[in-house]
Amino acid sequence: MLADANAAHLQELMRGVVRRDRAAFAALYDRTAPQLFGIALRILRQREEAEDVLQEAFVVVWDRAASFDAERGSVMTWLVTVLRHRAIDRRRRRAHLEDRLGSEEDLLALAAAATDEADRGASLAALQKCLGELEERPRHAVLLAYAYGYTHEELSKRLTTPIGTVKSWVRRSLERLKRCLDG
Amino acid sequence: MNYRDPKLRDLLAGEYAMGLLPPRARARFERLMAGDAALARLVTDWQERLAPIDRTAVPVAPPRRIWRAIEQGTLQRSFPAPAPTPSTGLLQSLAFWRGFAGAAAAVAAALVLYIALGSGPARAPAVVAVLADSTGTPAFIATRGERAEEIAVAPVRPQSLAAQKSFELWAIAGGPPKPLGLVSATPGKPLLVPASVVTAAGTVLAVSLEPEGGSPTGLPTGPVLFQGKVLAD
Repeated sequence: MLADANAAHLQELMRGVVRRDRAAFAALYDRTAPQLFGIALRILRQREEAEDVLQEAFVVVWDRAASFDAERGSVMTWLVTVLRHRAIDRRRRRAHLEDRLGSEEDLLALAAAATDEADRGASLAALQKCLGELEERPRHAVLLAYAYGYTHEELSKRLTTPIGTVKSWVRRSLERLKRCLDG
Repeated sequence: MNYRDPKLRDLLAGEYAMGLLPPRARARFERLMAGDAALARLVTDWQERLAPIDRTAVPVAPPRRIWRAIEQGTLQRSFPAPAPTPSTGLLQSLAFWRGFAGAAAAVAAALVLYIALGSGPARAPAVVAVLADSTGTPAFIATRGERAEEIAVAPVRPQSLAAQKSFELWAIAGGPPKPLGLVSATPGKPLLVPASVVTAAGTVLAVSLEPEGGSPTGLPTGPVLFQGKVLAD
């Protein structure tokens, strides 16, 4: 499988980074930066901030490479985690959260029935199927939080629903997703 | 909160992976995770479940200068500490911020300001430097020991350290890093170093990850995980 070969290659590069191999670090960046930049842009909607976050994240990756545990997860997932938490922090620090209604379209595209684009892989199709089993507004809450970095407060405003309800939507949705994906 | 309740653990792991925990709760959760492999495993499981959503973000090639900045940033990692962002914040005592070490950069910066203003509480040990990780989270602290000629360096809370690895402390003041000895990953057993080596303001104290027993070369061989500037008296 293409995806497996890719993951194995990233593991190999990551081992190089742990050995302080600068060429491996450069190759890791080349292979993953566009996807990571796309993720940061989706959360921050602001190019300069997304650039800062990408830069910070890779410096952290270099510094903490030794703490990456290949037993526990894929390289890409680790990189995304390093980046996402930074991007979300940055977003939260903004005094004024701009209106982000424009982001609805791709959200809905994601939530729509699995179209099964080959390069997006079976895992996305499975997740889409499970997301599809949630009710519409809880599903939106999950996607807005994960893909766009919304906080509970923002979800509450955006979905015009009390914050307590939004919290329990997310919790229940996580339980249902887990059952659906693992079951 | 009862962190042993399996349902709650899994739920928090999920919320953490979603990015929904507010900053302070997240810092607390990360501290728990550092000492609880099973909890870290729950988080990874959630990250892997949700990861397909990441692939729906449209890839965008970042400008080349970002890579150049990363290259520079990581090459220079062999030192100059990142300047903390000045910020105001609460800070009553060492014990206080020990408890809230997760409040990170702002707290470290506030501490620096606080000490610079010379208004530290009388009982607090004199802080010589705060060594933070690359996110600005304080990890080690250097304080003036009971004897004036000694500086004590110890972690502010247990740090995770892989088997067969050691933390080694270095002083950098212009020339090549000077090894100061191995520093424990757990609080309570400070490394005592001669004050004369570290007290010049502007000296950077750094902790690198080394093979067990320390660097075989006399220079850092592993990544510098924590660093901080010695504060002006």
